[in-house]
Amino acid sequence: MESLVANNIRQRPLRALVSIAGVALGVCLVMLFTGLSRGMSNDLQRRSSNLRAEIIFTRPGGMELTTSTANLSTKYADELLKVEGVAQAVPIIRYVFQGGRGFGFEQVEGVDWDAFAAMNEMRLVDGRAPSAVDEIVIDETKARNGNTGVGGSLALFGGKPYRIVGVYAPESGARVKMSLAAMQDALEAPGKCSYILVKTRDGIDPLAVVRRIESQPSTQGNKIQLTRDIITNIEKTIPYLGVFLRALVGLSAVVSGLVVMLAMYTTITERTREIGMLKALGASRGYIVSVIEREAFVISLLGLVAGFAVSFVAGYLINRAYGLLFEYGWRWALVAAAIGVGGGVLGALYPAVRAANLDPVNALAHE
Amino acid sequence: MKTILQAENVEKVYRVGSVDVAALRGVSLDLEEGEFLAIMGPSGCGKSTLLHLLGGLLTPSGGRIVLDGEDMTAASDAKRTDIRRRKIGFVFQRFNLFPTLTAEGNLRLAERIHAGGAGGAGGNNSERRREVLSLLKLEDKMHHKPLELSGGEQQRVALARAIVNRPAIILADEPTGNLDSENSAIVLNMFQEMNYRFNQTIIMITHNPEAAAMCRRIVQMRDGQIVAPNTGLQV
Ligand SMILES: Nc1ncnc2c1ncn2[C@@H]1O[C@H](COP(=O)(O)OP(=O)(O)OP(=O)(O)O)[C@@H](O)[C@H]1O
Ligand SMILES: [Mg+2]
Repeated sequence: MESLVANNIRQRPLRALVSIAGVALGVCLVMLFTGLSRGMSNDLQRRSSNLRAEIIFTRPGGMELTTSTANLSTKYADELLKVEGVAQAVPIIRYVFQGGRGFGFEQVEGVDWDAFAAMNEMRLVDGRAPSAVDEIVIDETKARNGNTGVGGSLALFGGKPYRIVGVYAPESGARVKMSLAAMQDALEAPGKCSYILVKTRDGIDPLAVVRRIESQPSTQGNKIQLTRDIITNIEKTIPYLGVFLRALVGLSAVVSGLVVMLAMYTTITERTREIGMLKALGASRGYIVSVIEREAFVISLLGLVAGFAVSFVAGYLINRAYGLLFEYGWRWALVAAAIGVGGGVLGALYPAVRAANLDPVNALAHE
Repeated sequence: MKTILQAENVEKVYRVGSVDVAALRGVSLDLEEGEFLAIMGPSGCGKSTLLHLLGGLLTPSGGRIVLDGEDMTAASDAKRTDIRRRKIGFVFQRFNLFPTLTAEGNLRLAERIHAGGAGGAGGNNSERRREVLSLLKLEDKMHHKPLELSGGEQQRVALARAIVNRPAIILADEPTGNLDSENSAIVLNMFQEMNYRFNQTIIMITHNPEAAAMCRRIVQMRDGQIVAPNTGLQV
């Protein structure tokens, strides 16, 4: 192809590569973070959807994804059992901490295993239930990803080692569970829990039970939610996630824009005399802008393709190394594409207009 | 004969800081179709300034320039660019070819810009292009990039690029200034050939009396004025 645009890009392969990498970086940021947030939230949903309990009883503010409070008295479980229609009430402590290997959240739950397993139809595929304060069970996914199992150990709460005594299925909530007593001990919260799972008797409308619990004086001042409502709300429970993602998208656009702007700016500085010659040949401002914009567009497009490719490879590798799940969606891919190309084209606008406004005589005299 | 160019009392003042530098002090010049005019004069006398004004790259501070029936002085910047596209071919001392394009690519780009499109079509001028390349003995250099060409060859490509769109006038600023005497002679012969074959109107600035001697008419400039107006040395 005998074109000014393609040949200019070929002329400076390193600079083209750097600009392509810049655009790709922006695209990657958007893809990886949105992919991670989707992956995490879908993963959590899958895990919570295995809960058989219809009702979750918490203190207000106690059921956030990132909180690790144990501020609810386990005594409420006894009160709840007295309510008509309640079959089981199992207190749980959930503890969330920064992932052991860099980023992401990890969770541990403290449960009375037998009651929890009976309520949610969990079974141990290997080993036995946790009882001693340093014993845990993990789910199959955790065992597979961590390449471990019964007899292995895990460091929790900042390095303290725990022995794996069992592997359970299906996955549900935190992938690591210990006994409620062990957790209360670790958190120095005797007699407390984060929330209580409530299972209703067969054939009874859970909503009716919720109302009954609400009208019970002994359980006043707490929050009663249906499990299915919490599941659909999980994306909203990560505070400011939406804001964070939007800020990220904005930043990515700025990165792409700036990189392409800088590249095109050096390009026009370097090719000032050529721009002067274009003017001498009678090329209009629009033509000169279009030459530079087309070059920026090609670079942005290549950056976009590279960004997608790197996102998929990186997502796969991170998943293998850290077990984090990436799920890419079309909507965010479109946003990333718009940002890569839009940022590039917008960033090139300033150099392009500047080139179009160069004084032809000075440009031709440029060294 | 048709008048291609009329310059009346053209003045140009450059402002350097707070000082005004008068580069042209009332230059008048008429050019008929098919003329080959040399402009000579000492360095700094305003030759390039005049050429840039005639080509619409600069605006005069005073006077009037009419090129092939179009008033350049009254025209907007965009309008002057448009006149340049349709009517003027430039040749510079530093060939100013697009270094990433082959000789043919340089010609095609000029054709594309001349056609007024922002890309796409254009370059359907292949007969004219072949004729010009053959007259300038460039056929076997068509696919060479500027760096693979000698200075003389580059300047011939630049001349081909200037003439391929049949401009009303070619404006050449010291086209042999960067060439040795042998290549200068070849390039000057080509200018003469273009003038003869296509009745191409040409203005050429030169410091070389031998080059000027090949032109049909010479004007001498000094201190921003023509000192031997329109009498010329007939050769
Ligand atoms: N952009 C400018 N700003 C200020 N002064 C200028 C500018 N361009 C040219 N001049 C001045 O105008 C005068 C004429 O310059 P010009 O370039 O037209 O001379 P010239 O005859 O082409 O000289 P040469 O033979 O060296 O090319 C000179 O005194 C020069 O210093
Ligand atoms: Mg000069």
